[in-house]
Amino acid sequence: MPSAPLDTRYQIETPEGIDLPLRPAGLLPRARAFAFDLGVRGLLMGILLVPLALLGNIGIGLGSLLLFLVSWWYMVLFEVLNQGCSPGKQVMGMRVVQDDGTPIGWSASLIRNLLRFVDMLPFGYFLGAISCLQHPNFKRLGDLAAGTLVVYRELPLARPKVPQAPALRLPFALDLSEQRAILNFAERQGELSAERVQELASILATPLQVSPARAVEQLNGVARGLLGPT
Amino acid sequence: MRLSDASVVIRPRTSWEAMDLGVLMAQEHRLLLMASWALVSLPIFIALSVLLWQYPSTALFVFWWLKPAFDRLPLYILSKALFGETPSLKQAVRHWPRLLKGQLLASLTWRRLSLSRSFLMPVSQLEGLDGQARQKRLGVLQQHNAGAARWLTTLGVHLEIGLWFGCMALFYLFIPQQVELDWDWQRLALATGPEGLWLEHLSNAFYALVLVFWEPIYVACGFSLYLNRRTVLEAWDLELVFRRLRQRLSSAAPLLLLVIGLMLLPLGRPAMADDSPPTRQVTPQSASQSIKALLDKPPFKNPETVTRYRFADEKPNTKPQARGDGKLPAWLQALLDNFNSDAFKHLAQGLEVLLWSLLAGGVALLAWRYREWLRTFVSRRGPRQPKLAKPTPTQLFGLELGAETLPDDIASAAERLWPNHPREALGLLYRGLLSRLLHDFNLPLKTADTEGQVLERVQRLQQPQLLAFSDELTRHWQNLAYGHRLPPAVVQQQLCNDWRTLFSSGVAR
Repeated sequence: MPSAPLDTRYQIETPEGIDLPLRPAGLLPRARAFAFDLGVRGLLMGILLVPLALLGNIGIGLGSLLLFLVSWWYMVLFEVLNQGCSPGKQVMGMRVVQDDGTPIGWSASLIRNLLRFVDMLPFGYFLGAISCLQHPNFKRLGDLAAGTLVVYRELPLARPKVPQAPALRLPFALDLSEQRAILNFAERQGELSAERVQELASILATPLQVSPARAVEQLNGVARGLLGPT
Repeated sequence: MRLSDASVVIRPRTSWEAMDLGVLMAQEHRLLLMASWALVSLPIFIALSVLLWQYPSTALFVFWWLKPAFDRLPLYILSKALFGETPSLKQAVRHWPRLLKGQLLASLTWRRLSLSRSFLMPVSQLEGLDGQARQKRLGVLQQHNAGAARWLTTLGVHLEIGLWFGCMALFYLFIPQQVELDWDWQRLALATGPEGLWLEHLSNAFYALVLVFWEPIYVACGFSLYLNRRTVLEAWDLELVFRRLRQRLSSAAPLLLLVIGLMLLPLGRPAMADDSPPTRQVTPQSASQSIKALLDKPPFKNPETVTRYRFADEKPNTKPQARGDGKLPAWLQALLDNFNSDAFKHLAQGLEVLLWSLLAGGVALLAWRYREWLRTFVSRRGPRQPKLAKPTPTQLFGLELGAETLPDDIASAAERLWPNHPREALGLLYRGLLSRLLHDFNLPLKTADTEGQVLERVQRLQQPQLLAFSDELTRHWQNLAYGHRLPPAVVQQQLCNDWRTLFSSGVAR
């Protein structure tokens, strides 16, 4: 058994001593985001190139410029100006950040997108896919060079519902993970089957000094107490 | 199954994060997974290729169709490794035939094309459910995450194709150029018949290699999706924390009882606070003194004694202090003091002189060694230019100076000319002098020079006889040429004689 259990988290400690857990995104969601971006670009080019094709030589020149802009600057501009999200990443709930969690800048974005063409070698993101699957933080070669990381964005959460119960205080102290577990228990009761809820609560029946039948209610009360007046 | 032994962090994740965890799990056991997959699948691939040598596409199709049978091995390894019982390569491969027993037919026929194959595989293989029970379970599991499982298979198909083509492109790029000349890519692609067969089998082999890399990851992703779904459904993470909490509290409870029991025992002597000592009178002066004393001690001040050598006139008063410090042994201190005394002063001076002279000698030697180089590159005058052969003037103030225009014996010719043509005679002498100066003495005369300037140049030759003669001749020539005053006859003879004595060699010429 490895000393540290495997996890998909990337911990950053800020100078103020705050732990920022980031969740790096792996190859599969990134591939989907890229496919989306590719589609958007294809659609854009298709729409813009049809009227340009009617303009003759000028149209071809403008079309070439457009092709250059779209293929080289689409990702860079979106990443830098849209908080690290290209449209595909936005849809997939991801963003690009620097290794230390700060927003991505021009140089890093340019490097990681120029090296995209190394990742594509020799065909269809061969190197990039292998690097992505082998790196513990799922970085492709461009990310390695630029020192960037693709992470899941923190999406706004819906306010969880905690069952009504009289607030309780426990006679012993709980550490952070235990407090969270009890709160989670109260919040996630809706997703669990009634039997499972009962089973989980009965684990703590003895320490709570209640009968297993009343353990669920007791735990909900503790959760209310932890939550405080709302 | 003991959740506390799990080698991954168990918590509910989004479906995509769950797949990322699968990638990490495959990474952790990459070598074992790839080796076992290769050991199981490659022999079958080779056998298929040999059997169906004439039909490479069919061979590939059959191999591809058999994938679920191979997939059971990585799933077995991962499920064992999840709880820390990673099997060895030998154990895993030996176990494979036993894995094939359950529901192989179903997984190879009507379940083969299911898009959530990897997600649902653990239900039949690890839980051993079949029939109605399995259907119920699938219904629960597929309420969530089924879409992600389908995406996983779709992306996996594309990735397989991409990696496969990448392998072929890599192979094509690595063909030496000489060989490539004979190969036409289009001809190869369109090649049919026996010559194209081995090429198709080669590309099949690339696909088999790609599967060695990718298929364990695919299985791991499906497995982690399944784990995540179970975690969410059954709140495994909560169970883990609750069990830990109960263990903590139950181990703490006896201790708590003991403490309470001890508290209840009647204590013989109640602990009381000591009487407070009489308060000292504190004045501002004493306070500031004690503060100063405190500030002089560590950690506010850390006095440190440093011993080092310095020039004597710098701070002579520090010497005894350094000695009294006692960091050096006494005998060493004595020796050092002895070195500072006058006895060694002369020796030191001698050494100093010797060293300085060595330095000077070295510099001189260097300068001598590189004198050519210095002359070439350091000299202020710059490189000496080769002397240009200046064209010697053929005329000075209208007088022909070429040696060929003069008679051989100038003095005799002048003597002959004196009676009738004194002007030509004197002119001949003067021309002869200039010609000699120009050709024999290499005097740098220019066409712009005047008679006076010619005299100045003669002066620089430092030949008094020549100078006197030139002076005399020039004076008479100027008198005649510009003043039309003939020199007296004595002077005429005198000049001719002087010429002869001066340029006797010229007569012989």
